[in-house]
Amino acid sequence: MSALARPAAGTPQADAAWDRRRVFLANLRSVGGRAYPRVHGLFREPSWVLFEILLPFLTTSAFVFVYRALQAPPEYVGFVVLGGAMTAFWLNVIWMMAAQLYWEKDQGNLELYFASPVDMMSVLFGMAVGGLIMSSTRAAVVLAVGAVVYGVTFTVDQWGLLLLVFFLTLAALYGLGMMLSSLFVLWGREAWHLTQLLQEPVYFVSGLNFPVGRLGFLGALAVALIPLAVGLDAMRQLAFAGALGPTGTPPPEIEALILVGMAVTFTWMARVMLRILERLAREKGRLSARWR
Amino acid sequence: MTARATAIPAAFDPGRAEGRGSADTARGFVTAALLGWRMEANWTDPLLFFIYSVAKPVASALILVFMLEVIAGPGARDLRSFVIVGSALWAFVMSGMAGLAWSVLDDRERYRMLKYVYVSPSDFLVLLVGRGVARIAIGAMGALIVLAVGVVFLGLRFDPGAVDWAMLGLVLLVGLAAIVALGVILAAVCMQTRQESWSYPEAVAGALFLLVGAVFPLAVLPLPAQAAGLALPLTWWLEGVRMALFPGGRSAIGGEGSLWTAWTGSAAPDGGAIVGTLLATSLMITLVAAAAFRVSERRAKDRGLIDRTTGS
Repeated sequence: MSALARPAAGTPQADAAWDRRRVFLANLRSVGGRAYPRVHGLFREPSWVLFEILLPFLTTSAFVFVYRALQAPPEYVGFVVLGGAMTAFWLNVIWMMAAQLYWEKDQGNLELYFASPVDMMSVLFGMAVGGLIMSSTRAAVVLAVGAVVYGVTFTVDQWGLLLLVFFLTLAALYGLGMMLSSLFVLWGREAWHLTQLLQEPVYFVSGLNFPVGRLGFLGALAVALIPLAVGLDAMRQLAFAGALGPTGTPPPEIEALILVGMAVTFTWMARVMLRILERLAREKGRLSARWR
Repeated sequence: MTARATAIPAAFDPGRAEGRGSADTARGFVTAALLGWRMEANWTDPLLFFIYSVAKPVASALILVFMLEVIAGPGARDLRSFVIVGSALWAFVMSGMAGLAWSVLDDRERYRMLKYVYVSPSDFLVLLVGRGVARIAIGAMGALIVLAVGVVFLGLRFDPGAVDWAMLGLVLLVGLAAIVALGVILAAVCMQTRQESWSYPEAVAGALFLLVGAVFPLAVLPLPAQAAGLALPLTWWLEGVRMALFPGGRSAIGGEGSLWTAWTGSAAPDGGAIVGTLLATSLMITLVAAAAFRVSERRAKDRGLIDRTTGS
C-alpha cells in the first residue's frame, strides 16, 4: 500500500504524482499560454486594427445615423454607442469562446488539450482572458471615438456601481462563453450556424439599440437569461441617469444581482457540462472527429 | 517501336491536358457550387436549416423596425417600408460578400484543401465564385423571407402589378455581379490574413451599410461620406431595386440636403440614371476585384500563404 501511495522517485508514477502547488502552477501557466496567442496576435496582424476596430465603428455609426434621420433625443445615440462597445465582447464570446473548441477540434488541437495534464477550465479561462484583452481594445475605441465624434454625454451618478455592473457583465458573458464552448464540443457543423444565430437575434432581444423594456415579455425574458441584455440595460440606466424615465426593467442594483447569479451559474455549469460532454464526446468518438 | 510511338498521339486526347475551355470552366463552376451547397445544407434537416438561414436577416430587420417604433411610433410607415426593404436586401449583400471570403478560409484553415484546389486544372477564381453561390442562394432566401415578413406582419405595402419587372431583373443581375466582385476583393484580402478573418466580411459589409443608404437616406451623412456612397454600386443597386419593387417610394439618394440634389437639381435619380450609374460602378468594381485577386494570388503563392494555417 505504501508503495502505491509513495511511488519510488524517478518512476513514471512519481512523475505523475503532482502536489497541489505544481497542479496550480501548471494550470496558471496554461491560462497564460492560452491567452498568449490572442494578445500577441494583436501585434502580429496589423489588418486587425482596420477590420476589428475601425470598420465595426462604422457599423455602429450606421445605427447612430438611423436615429439622427429620425431626429431622436441625443441619449439614444449614446445607447447605440454603448451597445456598439458591448457587441465587441459578445462577438468575442460567441466566436472566440463558444465556437473555439469546435475550431480546435477541426484543427486537431482539441485532443491535445484533453491529453495535457491541466484542467480544461484553465484553457477556457486563458481563452477568456486573451479574448477580453482583444475585445476591450475594440470596445474602448468604439466608446471613446463614438462619444467624441457623436457628442455623447454620459450622466453618471454612481460610478462604483457602473464599474461593478460592467465587470459583472463581463464575468457573466465569459461564463456563458465557457458553458457554450463545452456544448460546441459535442455539436458538429451546427456550431457555425448557431454562432450566426447568436448574433442579430440576440442583439434584437437584448435591445442593443433601444431600451429592452420596449420588448415587453420578450425583453423581460432576455433580462432574466442573457447577460448582454441585463448588463446593457443596467449600464444604460447608470450611464444616462434620469434620461430614460421608467424603463420597465428592474433597477440597476437588482440587475447587478442578476448578473452575479448568471456569472456563478454559467461558470459552474461550464465546469459540469464540460465533464459530462467530454465523457459523451469520448463515448461517441467525437473528440477527434473533425469536419462533421 | 516507331509505329507504336506514332500511334499513341492519334489516340491521345489533347483536351485532357490542355483543358476544354468554357466547357471545363462551366463544369468546374457547377461542381464547386454543388459542393458549396452540400457543405452548407446537407448535414441537417431542412426546417432547422431554414431557421438558421432566416433568423439573422429577420432579426436585423426587427432591430431597425423597433428603433423606428421607439422614436417615431406607428406614424413612420413610409420610413418603415424603406428600412425593411433595405434591411432585406442587405442580407443578400452580406451573404454574397461573405461566401467567397469564407470559402478561402474554410478550405485553407479548416479542411486544409486550398492547396489541392489551387493545383487542380480548374481556374481558382471560378471555383471560389462557385463555392460562394450557395451562400448567395441562402442570402436571397433570407431577403425574400424578410420581405414576406414585412408584407404579412409589418404593414409593407406590395403590389405585384406595380412592379417594374424588367428593371428589377436588370438591376438584380448587375447588382449580383457587383456583390460577387466585392466578395472577390474580400477573398483576396483573406488569402493574405490569418484565421481571424472570419469576421472581416461582416466588418466590411457593416461599414458599407453606413455609406449606401440601406436604412436611412444619404442626405443625413456628411458630404464626403455621401460622395463615397454615390461611388459605390450597392447604393445604386438598392435604389434600383427599391424603385422597381415600390415605384414612387422614398429615395435614399436624392432629397433635401443630399449631394445628388445639390449636383443635379433633381429630387431623385430616374431609372436611366440609376441603371447607367449601376452599370458603370459595377464595371469599375469588377475590374478592381479581378486585379486585386490576381495580385493577392501571386503574393500568396510567393509567400507560401496558400497552405498556411493559423490559430488564435
